[in-house]
Amino acid sequence: MAATTESVKADAAEAPLLNKKNMFAGAALYILFYGWVRWYEGVYGWSAGLDSFAPEFEVYWMNFLYIEIVLEVMTASILWGYIWKTRDRKVMSITPREELRRHFTHWVWLVMYGIAIYYGASYFTEQDGTWHQTIVRDTDFTPSHIIEFYLSYPIYIITGVASFLYAKTRLPTYQNGLPLQYLVSVIGPFMILPNVGLNEWGHTFWFMEELFVAPLHYGFVFFGWAALGVLGVVNIEVQAIAKLLKKDLA
Amino acid sequence: MSASQSAVRSRAEAVKVARTFDWMILFTLFFVVLGGYHIHYMLTGGDWDFWSDWKDRRLWVTVAPIVSITFPAAVQACLWWRYRLPYGAVVCVLGLLLGEWVNRYLNFWGWTYFPVNICFPSNLIPGAIVLDVILMLSGSMVLTAVLGGMAYGLLFYPGNWPIIAPLHVPVEYNGMMFTLADLQGYHYVRTGTPEYIRMVEKGTLRTFGKDVAPVSAFFSAFVSILIYFLWHFFGQWFASTKFVQSI
Repeated sequence: MAATTESVKADAAEAPLLNKKNMFAGAALYILFYGWVRWYEGVYGWSAGLDSFAPEFEVYWMNFLYIEIVLEVMTASILWGYIWKTRDRKVMSITPREELRRHFTHWVWLVMYGIAIYYGASYFTEQDGTWHQTIVRDTDFTPSHIIEFYLSYPIYIITGVASFLYAKTRLPTYQNGLPLQYLVSVIGPFMILPNVGLNEWGHTFWFMEELFVAPLHYGFVFFGWAALGVLGVVNIEVQAIAKLLKKDLA
Repeated sequence: MSASQSAVRSRAEAVKVARTFDWMILFTLFFVVLGGYHIHYMLTGGDWDFWSDWKDRRLWVTVAPIVSITFPAAVQACLWWRYRLPYGAVVCVLGLLLGEWVNRYLNFWGWTYFPVNICFPSNLIPGAIVLDVILMLSGSMVLTAVLGGMAYGLLFYPGNWPIIAPLHVPVEYNGMMFTLADLQGYHYVRTGTPEYIRMVEKGTLRTFGKDVAPVSAFFSAFVSILIYFLWHFFGQWFASTKFVQSI
């Protein structure tokens, strides 16, 4: 009886397996932030974003670009550095319950990656199509590019790498090498950002109709395929979680 | 880590944990696949999908199924062959359509003011349902590729017909005959407007009118079969759980 009471007390005192507050707060952060970004685009895209030689373009758009790049570099350095610095050096000796808890935390990161990929690859990328089919570009740093290429892409890169680092530094599953498809699903979408160099080079060279299906854009397509690497990540995770729960679910 | 220790306190907790993981996995899978599929589709078939005046009877019918059967084939290769989940194609297409509809309302309409009836996305649901049903009933990749791929290509135009038919009604405008969809494009000029009212459809058999859409659908069905095979194997590779020692 006493042992049971102690066990119940210990259960009540320990951290929950899944920290739902963190998950919903994280999701809300992305959604509210991107809601604000969309509002900013709506207001200052038309009023200050049509002529890149205008003084107001410098104020509302180029300053936005400079600030976001500084913040992204800082966020990536601090976040990735923190995850690496606080890594578990005895990761193979954690209890199964702790391992399960860490898998949940890892999945909170992956849920955030899902949200970040959605905004980057779907929402802001197709939005770029309608903006440039409406407004003739006179710079590489158009309002939609400043948001799409230099904000939403770095955010999913920061999130994806953080997720990978968390798995690599805290989960026994990932200690026997580098999971190939995890690398594909993080590095592939990351490569979309360097591919912007090709895209801008081409658009600067040729004054062409704004066709989304132009071959110049196929680099984005190729690296977009890498998102399918998430299938491999799911399979690795399902195997690991099933191993932890198998005995109790039988 | 002791093998005798349990990660959960009871069977009930194990069930709850498994269910919670299911939801988190499905959410992530849905949105990551949505992102990859959407960027692929918008940059290989997007212009035909964005605008009603691009939705002709020839290239739209040919291109859209060929480029859109890719991700469904790959996701089926994982969800069916590993988990016996018979909705790989539908879940991809639902994700794509969600991403597209959100964009068409909030951005095409909400930011650049194109009416939704010029920029609605194509309907890919009928082909995706047939693809999943054939895989579920046959359990065969070859049958799904051949019959499902062919159905996917052939069903595209009929599946979109109720939506596009009213916009393919001919009208005369300033002495020129074209479709209502072309007229929409004429009034909503874009930097990607097809050469400012060019004939999107070309070719000798176009003279006979009625054959264009079925012939295009048949050709699309043929290529869709080949693309299904290819992307099924891509899907198997992406679903692998291999670890490497260095990069």
